[in-house]
Formats: sequence, structure tokens, C-alpha cells
Amino acid sequence: MPPSTDLLQGTVDALILKTLALEPMHGWGVALRIQQVSKDVLQIGQGSLYPALHRLEYKGWIQSEWGSSENNRRAKFYSLTRAGKKQLEAELATWERLSTAIALVLETPA
Amino acid sequence: MSESLTRLRFFFSRSKSDELDEELQFHLEHSIEANIAAGMTPEEARRQALIAFGGIERTREQTGEQHPRWLLGMVMQDIRYALRGFRRNPLFTVTVIATLALGVSATTAVFSVVDPILFRSLPYAHADRLVSVGLVQSLETQEFTLGGFFFDWVHNQKPFEAITSEGAVSQECDLTERNPEQLSCARVLGNFLSTLGVSPVLGRNFLPEEMRPNGPDVALITYGLWRSRFNRDPGILNKLIDIDGSPVRVVGVLPEDFELPDLQPADVIRPLALDETAQRTGNGGIGAPMRTFARLKPGVNIEQARAEMEPLFQNIQKTLPSQLRNAFRHDFRLKVRSLRDRQMQDASRIAWILLGSVLAVLLIACANVASLLMARGAARQRDLAVRSALGASRIRLAWQALIEALLLSMAGAVAGCVFAEILLRVFIAIAPAGIPFLGKTHIDLRIILFTVVVSLLCGALFGVAPALQKPKPLMLTGRSQTVPHAAVRQWLVVGQIAASMVLLAGGMLLLRSFWNLQNQHLGMQTEKTLTVGITLEQQHYATAEQQMAFFQQLQTLLQYGPGVSSLAMSDSVPPGSGSHVFYSSLGIVGRPPSEGRTGGLVTTRKVSPGYFRTLGIPIVKGEGFREAELNSSEQFIVLSKRLAVRLFPGKSAVGDRMQFDRFDSNGVPKPLWGTVVGVADNVRNGELTGEEEPEYYTLRRNRSEDWDSNWRRTEVFILRTSLPPAVMFRWIRAQVAKLDPIVLVNIETLNQRVSKMAARPRFETVLLGFFAFTGLAMAIIGLYGVISFVATQRTQEIGVRMALGAGRFNILRLILWEGVRLIALGGFVGLAVALTLSRVLKSLLFNISPYDPVSFIGVVLLLALVALAATLIPARSAMKVDPVVALRHE
Repeated sequence: MPPSTDLLQGTVDALILKTLALEPMHGWGVALRIQQVSKDVLQIGQGSLYPALHRLEYKGWIQSEWGSSENNRRAKFYSLTRAGKKQLEAELATWERLSTAIALVLETPA
Repeated sequence: MSESLTRLRFFFSRSKSDELDEELQFHLEHSIEANIAAGMTPEEARRQALIAFGGIERTREQTGEQHPRWLLGMVMQDIRYALRGFRRNPLFTVTVIATLALGVSATTAVFSVVDPILFRSLPYAHADRLVSVGLVQSLETQEFTLGGFFFDWVHNQKPFEAITSEGAVSQECDLTERNPEQLSCARVLGNFLSTLGVSPVLGRNFLPEEMRPNGPDVALITYGLWRSRFNRDPGILNKLIDIDGSPVRVVGVLPEDFELPDLQPADVIRPLALDETAQRTGNGGIGAPMRTFARLKPGVNIEQARAEMEPLFQNIQKTLPSQLRNAFRHDFRLKVRSLRDRQMQDASRIAWILLGSVLAVLLIACANVASLLMARGAARQRDLAVRSALGASRIRLAWQALIEALLLSMAGAVAGCVFAEILLRVFIAIAPAGIPFLGKTHIDLRIILFTVVVSLLCGALFGVAPALQKPKPLMLTGRSQTVPHAAVRQWLVVGQIAASMVLLAGGMLLLRSFWNLQNQHLGMQTEKTLTVGITLEQQHYATAEQQMAFFQQLQTLLQYGPGVSSLAMSDSVPPGSGSHVFYSSLGIVGRPPSEGRTGGLVTTRKVSPGYFRTLGIPIVKGEGFREAELNSSEQFIVLSKRLAVRLFPGKSAVGDRMQFDRFDSNGVPKPLWGTVVGVADNVRNGELTGEEEPEYYTLRRNRSEDWDSNWRRTEVFILRTSLPPAVMFRWIRAQVAKLDPIVLVNIETLNQRVSKMAARPRFETVLLGFFAFTGLAMAIIGLYGVISFVATQRTQEIGVRMALGAGRFNILRLILWEGVRLIALGGFVGLAVALTLSRVLKSLLFNISPYDPVSFIGVVLLLALVALAATLIPARSAMKVDPVVALRHE
């Protein structure tokens, strides 16, 4: 897989983990929250959201549970597991390093 | 760790595709609601949401691919699909599996037989540097050394790191304790084990003081004996066991895989205590005979070692007694060869030939499988094109083809394993004695793995190749004018025909050679004749008188038995080889034994007067031995025609006197004079395949000196009888038991005895013949497959041609030509290769040249006929094509 996709996928994973760290949420909620927090810059379509959610679940970083939504509909709620919390910390650290590095390169006066 | 555990949990849990649908539905509804909230009409909100949502099916698939079991599910799906395909086309499936099974089983079985001969690692440290070194001569073709010069070699040799010996013969010895047991005892020098790089698993090697004559009597026992006799008791060390009635101390146990380098049987190893001075002078300056082995210094090869030993070899003459020097000059050679060659003798040549033929069979089988898979691939171009158009990726199609090839290969491999076990049992059953380790041969897992991998590879390679090409959209129309891979398949068939041509030529040469062997003129009568071989024990029949008495009593008992019309005694039976002397040791009046060349070997047998009558050997001049001569003090001789012509050219020979050597019990030759009373017709000697030697017979009289020989206590009774062998066998055993109930008796019909000598050529012929016909059958299947495929592909063309006026005969010729091209090319290449390779069979062939024109012409005709027949069948059906049907073919 080309590294750019890797980065992208890894980024989506990190965004989902970070979002779920606040509270358990269903898929729509996650997409909405990311869109709102990023001020409409980041929009995650369902085409990448659900494969990512399932992938994270199979990896044991998040877990799912059926519950009822705010308007009393049946919905699948995802929450962070302990392994997920650790993974989030790792992702954050990696992101920090990466963004600092990119900033260093990009902000160096030409 | 925990991650893989989680994955494992999901692997076994049921996948919930409904849940995913519900989730997606939920997501969609929320987006519609969000759109409505943003002020759209419900219809517009739904439309926009669906557009934003994208392909639901694709999301479903992508989510499904995240599941740990997704890959397995896909494989299972492919397997089900493949199995459905196999069921629809059973002929194809059975042909592929049978071809693979045949290839795998033949290769595995043959490889299991030849592996210990060619590739087995010898149970010694750095065995590649071990050699067998010694003298050879026409009477003893296995290297030996003698105590008289051995110490010169030990002190003066340069090429070897170490040199050691074992006594020339492993002797029978008896464990004379409770439950007595007969064992084999070998005697070895003190540095024997260290030279071979072997150390005892328990206890120690011999000490220097144990190697002196009259030193402490000690022994090392083999692991096998330790297990069977002493229950692996470590307390065996320093215990005394009774060997031949005297106590011997066990000082060690040899490793489980230990064997003597010359593969002689041995249960107990004892010191060969040699006194240097005694060896130099004892036994007429000859010393004890030994088998000598040595370890080459690093970097010294066998040729160099031989060259460096040559001066020492020349020096031997000085140590020899004068009467042996002449023979030494003309007949003795120095021989150094690798231990493996020493062990395997000439088995390695036939092993290589078998291996080569079976690999050819495997290649033909693989080519067949490849060809069949490619035909299937080509026939499915349209199917592939459809699937590709529906969105299957190239990898996905190749994966499907690979699964199919793997399934077929695995089925073939399993069937092959079963068949290999059967084949191996058949091999062992028909194999002659003297193929090393055959008894221990078993199907080797490594070999099965190897052949399975080869068949997998050829299956995978040729099965996947057609699928890897992106099918052309044109294929969808079904107008498959271009036949992909047809050229490759035709080349494969050419290769198959060439390979089977080579196999057939080899098989045919061996078959004709075997025919010659079986139908050669033996010079004697073998029907209704029994042979009774009896070997007397040293302990009970120590003197010549005792032996003579036993055999004469038995003769009296057997002579007047039921249906016995004639009886004779001899020390050996033709066509087996008898004793040998050099032609030069024979002398006639006026010409004493010559001092020059040895003149080659002469066979000699000691016989009773009934010998020629019983075996039906015609006396061509003079007469045979008479009963009256048994008590004479004179010696009487009958010559074979071949010897008479050579000794007495242009004379009658009968009545002439001849001098010959008789060896006494110490092996020292003593010259005797005798009278030639007759000349007998030539009889085959030197077994069935050896060179025919001149021969003379001496009468074994009723005098103990004629029975005096310490190394051969076997006498063979030859009986001509009208009763069935089974009846006679029982009766003869009863007679022998009357005299001595425990003596060893070996009863066979003379035909069985002769047939046993043909066991080896029979084995070679049967095996190579089997491979040749298997190869031919598979090549013909391949040819048939390709031609009928081509004919089917050209149905439409044929229809057009016929509509334009081509006659049926033209069509037949058109298709036939496709086959003839392949047959001619393959046959030509095969013939050229066969003629180049047939030289390697030379040593296996009897009375036939490796370029025998009859064999080669026969093989060419056979191949041409069968191959043409295989072409004719599809060509004929192409001829019968109805043009109307053919043109509507699409």
C-alpha cells in the first residue's frame, strides 16, 4: 500500500479514536463530531468511516454495543477500550512528532 | 498479543451483515434528517443524502474485507467453485489427478530406492574424505591388503591422515551363554573407530594394551545387540560375555547407526591384534588379509592419493613369496576409491539410470498436467472475459485458477503417496539381492514433499498463466479465432514425445538384452533337475574325511530315491562360476606353466562321475569320468571344448597329460599332473552375463585329499527326477535330517537357480519398461488432447472449407498434418537424444549393441503407429463434421 494512503488511514483511525475518547458514540455521531470540531474541513464519508470502525473493532481498540439513540432509535454505540486508549496515546505522540517535523520543514524561511 | 487474541475471537464469531445494514440505514436516515433540517424538501434531502452516501454495496464489501475471516471465506468460495467445475468435467479431473498420481508415485518410489544408494550420508564424520585402499586382481575385485606389506604402508604413506584395517571377513561367532545366539564378529585395528570418526555411545574404544597379541580379550558391541540382548542396560560395561566359549569383556557400545565401512554384518567388534614381525614373515610372507580404509588429508583428492601410494604398491613385490611375484606383476593393481563407491559397487549406475528415467516420466506427467490445465484455461477464455467484465480483478481470477491447480495437485499427491507405497513394495518384491539398503527402504517424507512441490509448481505455473492475461473483450463475442497457448502446448507435446522416445528406446534395449539372456544356450539341461546345496559347519566337520563321509552317505541315500534317474555331486553348479585359476598355471607335457602373463581366468569344478549325464552335457571327444576311476590313485580331467582348443590346438587332447594347481587347506598351490579323459561341450559359466571362460573338471575321488579345502565346505547335489519338486523337496530334507538334523540345506530347481541370476536384469528391464510405457501412455494422452483441441477450435474453419468444396479427405489430411508435425519433430529429437544416451546402458546390455538397429527401428515404428492412431481419432471426427452445423457453431 502506498504510504500516502497509510498516512490517511492512520489519520482517520486517530481521529475516530480521539472522538470516541470523549464518550461512546454511534457512527453518525462520530462523523458529525469530526465535521463540527474541524469546522467542516474534515468530512468522513460512510465509505471510509464504517470499514475503519470495523477494523478498529477487530483490532480490539474499540468495542460496540447496541443502545438507543437520542431520538430513541436502535443504534450501535462504539466506545474506546483500554487498548484503544493506549493506541490513542501512541497515535497522538506520533502525530505530534510528525506535525512538528513537517512544521520545521515547511516553516524554515526559504 | 491481545490484538491477535481479539482477532481470533472475531475469527470464530459469526459475521453480522444485518447489523452493518442497520448501521448504514441509521446513518442514512440521520443524513436525510440533517438535510431536512437544513431546509430541503424531503425528496431532495433523500436524493442529496444518497449522493453523499455513495455506493452502499461497495461500503458493505469494504467493511466485510476488514473481517479477519474474509480471506478464508473467499478461499472457501473459490474451492466450492472449483469443485463444482471438477464435477462438471470428470474426465478432465480424473486425467489430471491420475497423471499427477502416476508421476508422483513413480518418482517417489524410485527416489526412495536410489536415495540411500546415491545420496545417503554415511554415518561417519566427514565421510567424503574416507577411502577404501588396497590391491585388486581378477580373483578378488574388492580392495584388500595383506599383513606382509600393511605396516610398510602405515609407516611410509603420505596422502592419508590415518589408515586402518579390519579383518577381511566378518566371522560367525557364537554367544555361548544362556540362550545361545549366532552373531557376526569383526576384528579391527585400534585406530579403526577414530579414523572413521566414530565414538562409542557408552564406554570407550580399545586401549593400546588390548591391541597386542594375547592382550586382554575385550569387545565393543553394536547398539542393536545391546538393545535386543541386553535391554539397553548400561551395566553391560565391563561385564564378561561368553564368545565361542571364552569370556570376553564388553568395554563399550557402538552408536545406533554404526556399520562396518564394507557393510559386512557385525554384532561384536574385537581387536585385530597384529604383531608386525609375525605379519611380515607369517603365512609365507603374505600375512593376514585385511580390508583397509583411510582418511585423506584435507585438500588431497583420490587421484593424488593413488599416485602417492603407487611407489609403495610397487614395493610390495619384494615382500611376496617368489611364486606370487609373477601373478603380482601381471594381475595386481592398486585401487583407491571413495567409501561410497566401495559400498555401492555398480549399484550407483543403475540407480542413476532409474533416477533419470523416472525424472523423464515426471516431466512428461507435468507437461501433461500443464497441457490439460492450459486447454481448460483456453476453453474458459469466454467465462473469464465475462467475469472480468463484471468487475473481477486479474488477481482474483489468477487466485481462482491457482486454487484450482492446488486442489488438483493435492488430490494427485495424495493418490500418488498411496500408489507410491504400493509401487515400492512391488520394487522390493522383484528386486534382486545386492541392492544395498533395499530392505530398509521406506517412503521418504522429504521426497514426497519434493514431488508434491514440483507438481504444485507445474500445476500453478500453467494453470495460472492463462488467467493472468487480461481477457480481451472480444472474447465476449465468443469468436475465439485466436487460440492462446496452443503453440506452447504443441511444444510440450513435442517434448513429451521426445522424452517417451528416449524411455522407449532404453526399455526396448533392455528388453531385447533380457530376451537374449533368457534364451541363450546354456549348454546343459535345466528341466526336471533339482539342486541341493549343503554347507557343513566347521565345528562338526573339521576334517576332510568327515566331510567326505557325510556327503558319500547322503549320496547313497539320495541315489535310489523316488523318481531319481540320475544324480551327481559338484562343488558348484553352472551357470554359476566355480573356482578360478589362471590359465598360465596350467601346463602340458613339453610346455611347463608359463612365467609370462596370467592368460586370464579358467573355471574349474570338482565333480562326481554322474555330472555330465545328470546335466545333459555332451561329451564331444573321449568319455566322461567312470565309477572305476573313483578309487584310482591317478588324477583324471575333462576339459571344456574351449579349453581343449586353447591348450591342445590341432590335437585330440584325450589321453594327454596336464598339470594344474590344487590349493591345500592353507591356500598354498600344489602342482598336480592328471590325464585328460575327455572333452565336454562348452557350458555357460561366469553366471548369465559374465565372460565365458574355459573350464576343466577334475574327478573328486574317494580320497580325502580331494575333499581338502578349508574355505569351501559347500557341496551341491544335482538330481534329475520325474517327481514334482515340492514332493522331492520334502523327501530330500527328510533324508538330510536322517544324517544331521541341523545342517543347512538349500534346495532349488535348477531353473530357479538360473532364474535368480537373471533377477537383476529382470528388475532393470521391468522398471525401465514400466516407465517407458507409462511415459508413452501419458505422451499419447497429451498428443490426443492437443489434436482434438485443435480440431474443435477449427470446427468453424472446417465448415467453411467444406462449404467451399473441400473433400472429407482434405479435412482428414489437414488435421492429421497437425499431429504428424508434432510426432515427427518429437520423434526426431527423441531419437537423437536416445542415440546419445544409450551408451550409458552399455554395461547393462547382454549380447546387444547400445545402437542396436532393430531396437531403434522397432521403437520408432511403435511410437509412430500409436501416435498416429491418437491423431487419427480426432481427425476422423473432424472429417465427419456437418458443414451446416459447423457454420452455425456460434
